[in-house]
Amino acid sequence: MVEKSLYIFSNGELKRKDNTLFFETTEGKKFIPITTVREIFLFGEVTFNSKVLDFLSQQQALVHYFNHYGYYSGTMYPRERIVSGDMILRQAEHYLDTSRRVAIAQRFVQGAAQNLRRVLKYYQGRGRDVENPLDKIESLIPSVSSYDDVNQLMAIEGNIREAYYQAFNSILSNAYFRFEGRTKRPPKSPLNALISFGNSMLYTTVLSEIYKTHLDPRIGYLHATNFRRFTLNLDVAEIFKPILVDRIIFSMIDKGMLKASHFVKASEGIFLNDAGRGAFVKQWDERLQQTIQVRELGRSVSYRRLIRMELYKLEKHLLEEKVYVPFAARW
Amino acid sequence: MADTVPDEVHVTGTLVWYYHVCPREAWLMSRQLTPDEEDDNIRIGRLIHEESYVRFAREVTTAAGKMDRLVRRDGQWVVYEVKKSSRHEVSARMQLLYYLLQLHEDGVEAVGELHFPEERRVVRVTLGPSEMCEIQNTVKEIQTLMSQPLPPPPKRIPVCRQCAYAEFCWA
Repeated sequence: MVEKSLYIFSNGELKRKDNTLFFETTEGKKFIPITTVREIFLFGEVTFNSKVLDFLSQQQALVHYFNHYGYYSGTMYPRERIVSGDMILRQAEHYLDTSRRVAIAQRFVQGAAQNLRRVLKYYQGRGRDVENPLDKIESLIPSVSSYDDVNQLMAIEGNIREAYYQAFNSILSNAYFRFEGRTKRPPKSPLNALISFGNSMLYTTVLSEIYKTHLDPRIGYLHATNFRRFTLNLDVAEIFKPILVDRIIFSMIDKGMLKASHFVKASEGIFLNDAGRGAFVKQWDERLQQTIQVRELGRSVSYRRLIRMELYKLEKHLLEEKVYVPFAARW
Repeated sequence: MADTVPDEVHVTGTLVWYYHVCPREAWLMSRQLTPDEEDDNIRIGRLIHEESYVRFAREVTTAAGKMDRLVRRDGQWVVYEVKKSSRHEVSARMQLLYYLLQLHEDGVEAVGELHFPEERRVVRVTLGPSEMCEIQNTVKEIQTLMSQPLPPPPKRIPVCRQCAYAEFCWA
């Protein structure tokens, strides 16, 4: 059975009706077969009671909610069902031992860099002038393994990403989406708004996949952990940002699927409006269902499944069965 | 009921079953590294378990695990084991033998019946001297495997094709 993600953009009330969900707006009512729902993204203003929350927890469905500007606010993460004491101990053990922690953090940075490089290579192949950023990234990649401190790794990751962003204006010809530096909280340009929104979609998707594994999302290796916030999803997301988020952004802009009318100016920043978020989410959902061949497995899996397999690889690394090698896109 | 194995490697009937299907799966299961719950075959298995023989008494929990059904028929104790298909009949037989061994060690002589409701087929299993030897050796093998720090490496076998662990094993 294929489980789906449910995206709610309108305002309304979510209710439990017998053993299923029911969404009521001023326009009408809609039944939602719960057994097929893996997660719910709330972008609109939705009211619901504890009966609904209890039901969603029972069904092991996560609820990710976003504020008015599309900022990620939080997740209703149901009680863990898939727990292995052994795995939690190993996850903590690899966090506490600096050399083991760094070894994993390095792999996240290397994997991310490799995929950033792959994206630029693709555009180089299509005649875009991305040579300087590409050279810069290629010269920085080998140095990653020489850093044995997580803060330094975060810094080198930042440098690699900065070089990568330098290529954006060669990749994107549409002047409306000019890149003039990365800005967050608030994003100051349409392109920044897209990157921020896309990244939050990825963070929450990885979180939903972590829920289906034995891993604890609060113990990450690259991003600083304070044991209260989810960080493992941020780590794993680094691997997939270039190939999932950035590729969707480039292709949507390239195909003229995003226009000025998809953005709003508010609170000193620029944000996607409902139409813009809707357009992005549609592409996002399709991309996650797209399948690619995984040679070792001997079958093709969706990009969403690929994220899950990345988590399995991490589990195997923690078990000390097989060293974690991050997913490297081949095209 | 007396526990014949040390607490740290607690062998159960289902573990015996997994061990014969795939030792790696048994090792992972013993560490609560449960497989992908969204897997269709797992869902089907759960449904069959919930819906078969509902007219009868439900499962019996012992130190050896959960027996699908334990009844007294014609003056004899009979243990049922219900399976989706006879594809892993050998494994199912070993699982049942393990229950019979446990009962035997507790002074209860019983026979076993493998039930394949979808195939409308029942296979009788008895614990004779050679079966006793067979299952005791298996228990020792499982204990050795479980005490290993690592699972056996993945090996491509026909069940991989529809195993809920496949993505974990080959990731």
